[in-house]
Amino acid sequence: MEKLLKTVLCDRHQSHGAQMMEFGGWYMPLQYSGGILDEHLATRNSAGLFDVSHMGRFVIGGRDALPFLQYLLTNNAQALDIEKSQYTLIPNENGGAVDDAYLYRFKDGEYLLVVNASNREKDWHHLQSHKGRFDDVQMTDKTKELAMLSLQGPLSKDILSSIITAGTLPDPARNALSTVQINGSEIQLARTGYTGEPICFELFIRRKDAGMIWDLLTEKGARPVGLGARDTLRLEAGLPLYGHELGYDPEEKEIPIFASRASRFAVSFSPLKGSFIGRHALAEQFKALKKIMDQDYSLIDHLPRLIMPVAIVAKGVARAGFKVFHQDRHVGYVTSGTMVPFWQSRGTGVSFRLTKEKSLRGICLALLDSNLVKGDELQIEIRNKRTRAVIVPYHMSSKTPPFAKAILWNRL
Amino acid sequence: MKEISELNFPDDLRYTEDHEWAKQEGKQIRIGISDYAQDQLGDIVFVELPQVGDTFAKGAEFGTIESVKAVSEVYMPLGGQIVAINEALEDAPELVNNEPYAKGWMIVVNPSDINEFDALLARDAYLEMLKG
Repeated sequence: MEKLLKTVLCDRHQSHGAQMMEFGGWYMPLQYSGGILDEHLATRNSAGLFDVSHMGRFVIGGRDALPFLQYLLTNNAQALDIEKSQYTLIPNENGGAVDDAYLYRFKDGEYLLVVNASNREKDWHHLQSHKGRFDDVQMTDKTKELAMLSLQGPLSKDILSSIITAGTLPDPARNALSTVQINGSEIQLARTGYTGEPICFELFIRRKDAGMIWDLLTEKGARPVGLGARDTLRLEAGLPLYGHELGYDPEEKEIPIFASRASRFAVSFSPLKGSFIGRHALAEQFKALKKIMDQDYSLIDHLPRLIMPVAIVAKGVARAGFKVFHQDRHVGYVTSGTMVPFWQSRGTGVSFRLTKEKSLRGICLALLDSNLVKGDELQIEIRNKRTRAVIVPYHMSSKTPPFAKAILWNRL
Repeated sequence: MKEISELNFPDDLRYTEDHEWAKQEGKQIRIGISDYAQDQLGDIVFVELPQVGDTFAKGAEFGTIESVKAVSEVYMPLGGQIVAINEALEDAPELVNNEPYAKGWMIVVNPSDINEFDALLARDAYLEMLKG
């Protein structure tokens, strides 16, 4: 077996009692001693700390960096001001995803592109293969040089503020960035994350400083969270994961980029952007999507299935790959699913709060025929039995800051 | 996951190579999964059990245990008819993690051949197997 890569924090994970696993070529914590459910719940009511240094980090500079990114990514990189970031996709000519990514612009003259760990080499070669069209593009793989942490949850702002020695947090808006000092080390901060938490940060740290920052954050009460809960948190937030909601479906058919809801804000047809890889196919998908939204299915061939959040109504646990039926017709597949924990909540608006009472619920994301709509009843085939499920608008709301609120199918 | 030395294996139980335990209670056998099995599975979120009255052969799958990450089957340590199931697991599957030998039991069986019980692993033999 190929030797697994280790992040600079590997020893710390093991000293926190982590159960380690292979992920995308890296040796990573699946969970720490408290377990996935506890880590998920701790993120939702206090603050979770994730080592996401396994993700790929490419710095892209040079005179032609902007036209290069405009051509290779779906979002409008020209709309990105300094100290802002955006979700984006790396498209192929068919309108499918090579990967999804986040583009950060901390300073003038260079961009930081963060990609999935398991796609890092594929993405690098894909980007490199198109570099020749541009005169001056410099790409550097900083994955090993820069560590990356994610701090998510209602207490994350207080915890982070308490360790900053100079500079300020990014503006309180999603995707805002800033650069601060912590004990003499320069740290880049982003208001981004993969949990759906309304208060969320990601930190880019020089490799040698990562242990110090990890220790400061955990001493202030941030709870280490492994990849297990990272997955349940993103599932609850309805966020796509490449290989599940993007890439190829269980029939080995490519999933169109617009099938994923997050893509709708990440593909730009702005004249500023001009031509880019996959533009034609994506424009067709977008036209089809607009019609589908109006329940006009005349262009459905361009976007036959969409990713939808589905709640399990009866018993059972839906897993990726399970078949979904509507009125006995096979209408698609579960792409991600499990049972997730949640805090019961009380009140609305400013009086909203989480209680100390916790429960479990079965949820999933599914790739379903585009003519299905929220409220439609489904059956999911779980080991030759069918269990009842329903299409919901979402599993969670981030509109009760500082908390995220679990939305149950029977309380919509 | 814990070291084997941190796990608990009562010596009044018998064990299987698939990590179920079996306990003789008069003429009936109570069955669950071992501390090692629950620790390996991680947080258990759903347990599916058979119906009272169902009959299974030794080694047959009688239910499933789902953790956050995966699903695992559980197998009959010996053949027999189900006379009771632990209904508490429906609302509290975490009992299997917290008390695998007590409130986390799964089924009670009327064995068809008690010799099959006697053939199960004693504590020390099971421990030996775990240590490999």
